[in-house]
Amino acid sequence: MAETKRKSRGEAKGKRGKPSKKQKKGTDTRERKGPRLPNALRKELERLNPVDEGFGSDEDQEEVYGRDLYEYEEELPEEESKKNRRYDPVENLEYQMPEEFEDENVSSDDDNDTRNAGEDGVEDEDEKDDDGRQRTTRITSEAFEGKKKKKNNVVISEAYPESEYNPTRDMLEGEGPVSIGDLLDPLHGVSGYSKLRKRIHHLEKKSVPTPAPLPKADQEKLERKAAYEKSKEELQKWEPIIKRNREAPTIYFDDDMDLGFSTVGAIASEFEPRTEFEKKIASLVYDDQVMEAHQKDGSRLLELNKVSAEDEKDRHNRMAKMRSLLFRHEMKSKHIKKIKSKTYHRLLKKDRLKASSTQSQMDPEAAKELAMKQEYERAKERMTLRHKGSSKWTKRIKERGIDVQDEGTRTAIAEQQHLHALLTRKMNSMKDGSSSSSDDSSDEDDVDVYSAGSDQARASKLLEKAKEKTLNLLDEDDEVPKSGVLSLPFMVRGLKKRNEAAAEEAKLALQEYESWSNQLEDSNGADNAKVAPPSGRMVFNASKKEAPESSNKTQSDNKIRSDNYYGNSDSEDDFEPKENVDIREDRSSDLQNNGGINPVLLHKEFKNHKDSLFKNFDDIVQDPGPKTTHEVSIFASGTWKKMKGGNNADANANKPTRPLESVVLNQNLQEPVKDLDEDSDADSEGQMVDGILTSDPKVESSYELPSQAEIIRQAFAADDVEDDFEKEKQEVLNKENPEPEKPVLLPGWGQWTHVQKKKGLPSWMLQEHESAKRMREETLKKRKDAHLKRVIISEKLDKKAEKLYTKSLPYPFTSKEVYEQSIRMPLGPEFNPATAVGALNRPEVMKKPGVIIKPIEFEEVNPYERIEEQTQSGKKHKKRNKSKSNSSKNGTKVKTKLKN
Amino acid sequence: MGVKQDDGSIMPTSEQEKISDELDIRVKKFLRGEKTNLEGLQDKKLKGQLAVREELFGKSAQAAAKAEKWLLPSEGGYLEAEGIEKTWRIKQESIAHEVDILSARSQYDIVLPDLGPYTLDFTSSGRYMAAGGRKGHLAILDMKNMSLVKEIQVRETVRDVVFLHNELFFAAAQKKYPYIYNRDGTELHCLKEHGAVLRLQFLKNHFLLASINKSGQLRYQDVTMGGMVANYRTGLGRTDVMQVNPYNGVVALGHSLGTVSMWKPTSSTALLKRLCHKGPITAMAFHPNGHLMATAGKEKKIMLWDLRNLKDEPLQTLPGNADTLDFSQKGLLARSTSSFVQILRDSSGTQNYNNYMTHKIIKGYQVEKVLFRPYEDVLGIGHSMGWSSILIPGSGEPNFDSWVANPFETSKQRREREVHSLLDKLPPETIMLNPTKIGTVKPQRRKEKKTKEEKEADMEAAVEAVKGIEPKKKTKGRNKPSKRTKKKQEIVANAKRPFLEQQKKEEEQVVRKKQKVIEQVELPTSLQRFSRKKSAT
Repeated sequence: MAETKRKSRGEAKGKRGKPSKKQKKGTDTRERKGPRLPNALRKELERLNPVDEGFGSDEDQEEVYGRDLYEYEEELPEEESKKNRRYDPVENLEYQMPEEFEDENVSSDDDNDTRNAGEDGVEDEDEKDDDGRQRTTRITSEAFEGKKKKKNNVVISEAYPESEYNPTRDMLEGEGPVSIGDLLDPLHGVSGYSKLRKRIHHLEKKSVPTPAPLPKADQEKLERKAAYEKSKEELQKWEPIIKRNREAPTIYFDDDMDLGFSTVGAIASEFEPRTEFEKKIASLVYDDQVMEAHQKDGSRLLELNKVSAEDEKDRHNRMAKMRSLLFRHEMKSKHIKKIKSKTYHRLLKKDRLKASSTQSQMDPEAAKELAMKQEYERAKERMTLRHKGSSKWTKRIKERGIDVQDEGTRTAIAEQQHLHALLTRKMNSMKDGSSSSSDDSSDEDDVDVYSAGSDQARASKLLEKAKEKTLNLLDEDDEVPKSGVLSLPFMVRGLKKRNEAAAEEAKLALQEYESWSNQLEDSNGADNAKVAPPSGRMVFNASKKEAPESSNKTQSDNKIRSDNYYGNSDSEDDFEPKENVDIREDRSSDLQNNGGINPVLLHKEFKNHKDSLFKNFDDIVQDPGPKTTHEVSIFASGTWKKMKGGNNADANANKPTRPLESVVLNQNLQEPVKDLDEDSDADSEGQMVDGILTSDPKVESSYELPSQAEIIRQAFAADDVEDDFEKEKQEVLNKENPEPEKPVLLPGWGQWTHVQKKKGLPSWMLQEHESAKRMREETLKKRKDAHLKRVIISEKLDKKAEKLYTKSLPYPFTSKEVYEQSIRMPLGPEFNPATAVGALNRPEVMKKPGVIIKPIEFEEVNPYERIEEQTQSGKKHKKRNKSKSNSSKNGTKVKTKLKN
Repeated sequence: MGVKQDDGSIMPTSEQEKISDELDIRVKKFLRGEKTNLEGLQDKKLKGQLAVREELFGKSAQAAAKAEKWLLPSEGGYLEAEGIEKTWRIKQESIAHEVDILSARSQYDIVLPDLGPYTLDFTSSGRYMAAGGRKGHLAILDMKNMSLVKEIQVRETVRDVVFLHNELFFAAAQKKYPYIYNRDGTELHCLKEHGAVLRLQFLKNHFLLASINKSGQLRYQDVTMGGMVANYRTGLGRTDVMQVNPYNGVVALGHSLGTVSMWKPTSSTALLKRLCHKGPITAMAFHPNGHLMATAGKEKKIMLWDLRNLKDEPLQTLPGNADTLDFSQKGLLARSTSSFVQILRDSSGTQNYNNYMTHKIIKGYQVEKVLFRPYEDVLGIGHSMGWSSILIPGSGEPNFDSWVANPFETSKQRREREVHSLLDKLPPETIMLNPTKIGTVKPQRRKEKKTKEEKEADMEAAVEAVKGIEPKKKTKGRNKPSKRTKKKQEIVANAKRPFLEQQKKEEEQVVRKKQKVIEQVELPTSLQRFSRKKSAT
């Protein structure tokens, strides 16, 4: 029995040890354990072993016990082994009981053996060897085993679930395992033994028990970890590409662009005749003969053009056919003309309309005709007003309800409505147009009025119109209502009064019109001259232009002008009579229109109020001289008086206060300077008055050294300038940070008066004051001009300029300095050379519209490559792209290899 | 070592270094400041982006520097003295012998004894000049072909002439008002609102005509739309010293108390006041780069001030009077008193101005205005007997940028430029002391009071936040709808309370203030004896 068992065990062992030597060894070590214990239990044991020696000894006993017995190992039920893990050594002992039942399973083992034997035919020798060894070294092995047990005291589980179909060796043998030492001993003395032994020894030293497989969860975790590592590796190879793209200032997506043909010629050259027809044409066109003939002088073409008799006959026949067809057509149309069927004609008309519409689109003549026709239609429609839906027929139909009607009537009604809509639309649009045009015309009228009768005819017309209207108003008899509130006597009286007033006004207006019209007739060229195109100077004339419009100034235009003029001249006479003359003269000479007129004479003439001459002059003045008009406006507005006053004051200041000033105004430093300037002004004026073209010795005198008094003043001026400035600075500081108020003692307020007297101000008041003072000082210290005595820098914030600053740092920046430095360089083409502008302003993504952006492709990139090399100038990049696209076209995709 | 040149020769190393140094200087100019400091940055992405940007900036600057180095046609030069020669002893006559005919032509005197003293103005290209005689003579001259474009006599005192954006228009400050004329001498506008203006200045980039009148009122008028942009009382008295800083458009006024005040159209107070002199200020000028200001006082001192870092002391104090001062494009400073003109030059580049040239016109002539002609080495002098023009080598910018100002502009180009400049017109609020600050983060206000709307918005937000909280589900008896609504209302009221309290407090404060004012104003006679007397305290 034992023999066979051992044998079978050996066989099993041999089978196990098949795959490799190492595994064999592993199985060897595994064999040492006695009873087969369920996995969970074993683990528990493993855990306990190092602590509990007694348990180990127990095991020993078991092993001794089980050497010559079959061991039955029952697997623990799953639920027990996994869920309930509270095991004791005592509990464990219980499991030895079932080992004794094992005997029954022998037959099955045999079965196993036989099966194995069949399979293991190859390894017969090995088995035999094993058997021999075991036989010889049984006892020694046992002893050896005992020693060894302590060393490898690990419980090893089986790789597959235990059952009666795959029993362990221990089970089969009932003995301790055979060690390698046992096997080696018989070989003692054989050559190479020492070597083998050394190796074995070495192996044994290193041998470590194979750990138990981890629980499933852990295993999976590990697997996942491994998978993650793998995938990470896979993904990591993309990193340089991504990094490159992220770091690149610009990404180009316009590579790999293939827009196909770029020219029509290119498309045409690719053309291949496919259909029958095309082929035929091609054969004719590309006929060798024809081509040749074309290339040569062309005489051959004539030959090719020769028409055969047959062809001529054919042509003749065709002609005859056509003629007959035409005749038939004529006959048919004659017949049609005679047809009286309405429906037929309607259909015909429809067809014709269609044809005409297409024709109208083609040529303008037809379009014109069509337009005329439509106009006619419209007129007709306006006459009949069919579209209004006011006819008896439509009314009746509407009453009955359109839905009830048959198709024909419904369409007719719809047509009418459509027409109505069309016409009304047209009407509206026409209204708009007319209104705008009328506006224009009225504008024009306005313009005319403003330019005060530039177009005489127009003006007179306007006047006439106005006259007529007023006359009409006058003539109108007011119908006095004979009933109601208005018929009451006081109302009637009131109405009458009003009417009278209106009539009077109208009469006045009429007079005005008449005077204007007279004036219009009078003024021939003068008024025309006034139509000078509006220019910058018109600004000054504006008030005058409006004059004729305003009814308040009932005088004629001429009069107004003359009035202005007199105002002007009078005032100037008052002021500086000579200058007036001079100016006149100068202007006249400037204009050169008034050739040969003596200014003095002119002046006289003005005084004589000779109208005609005056008018002449006025024209000239009006014509190009902006200055005159300006002055006119000045005096008309009455501002000159002010100026005169100012001048008077100046003069006063000049004369009497002079001596005083030098004494009094020492501290007032502004005055002397002013005085000086005024003096010079006055002087120059005087010379101006004296004459323009003559030089005076006085001119030089104004540039003489300043007087002694002034020099003294200037010398004294320096004394308190600094103090003044300091004071000013203090003032500014106080204005911007006012000094805190001094605490004031209110008798009896907060404390008894006697206490107050003793203690003075309460401490909190003093503290508050102190802190306020300190605050002020601190703020003053923070000022930019704190350490500058002679400088005041305004700390006022300019609200308008605030929009020129950013409110907060823009996003990626965290420090103000870096941001400010980064914006120091201008980017525009004015500030940078043309080579740099493009690169400085290139957008982040370069892409042409319509280009499909392909997903990123893997390519090897040197991660240590510098960005700069990748972001080459656009040209280079494009070149690279081109080569890329070419290669891709050929079908072999060649990636750009590592540079450098 | 050396770089191989195109013709095959090898450039010596020292020369190469020189060129690279020169380029470095230019590159620095085009980099417009320090590179961004990326070291403190945490954000990697931003860091990367900024690094790329910086690189682009660097490339751009490099390209610009190279273009400037190799493409600019001419170089400026100065008078250089040999041995014991002194530059200021060199007379105009001796210069005339040395220079080419074209330049020699620009040495001339125009004698107009009757209508003097003349004030001058050039267009930004230097092609046209406007001359205004005190006694009403206005003239426009084409300086290139030395021809008179137009001359008019306005028969009024003319105090100042200034060109507007191009030579087509100019403004003249006359006796009562300033006027705007076109090139043909046609009067286009009379700016009555300005009053009797003493000085006019035109701000090219903003299209503003600034004026200071007799009563010390500073006005800005937009010449495009015609609106009056600003009108401020300076409160510092009458002055006829006004100069615009070409760098930032700030208008500076010199006052009789020795102060210089700087103004912008959007602020009613002076941006900056500085006590420069002990006597009244007679003249003022700004360096074209805007960092240097020269002032002259009656106490016979000329001072140079740094405008970037303000200090109490001037950069340099020069002795001498000046009735008029002007900086040239290259930074020469011309000053003039009576009939003596002196040109100072910063020869060492350390803002230390020395005597460079002197010029004397005929005694008795009083210089009214000195003005450097842009893009030419010419100084125009307006004086009591007309005007003259002298050569000052090294004063003008040798290379003109036709995008900025083109002396050879055709009328078509002028029209184009007019439209462009109108499109690029800057709003008046962009005038500030440091225009590079535009676009940066807004400076913090010292204490920002919240506006009423903001307060309301805050309160609403708080209420909304509270409303969003779902009330707890209470047990059966306590979960009545009435109780729930009550609770809700309570919560909302609680949320509102602090805001309302704040509001109440503020209102009370306002009321108290008002009361105070009222009490101060009128106390009943019976109580007046209790009121604190102001003189006592």
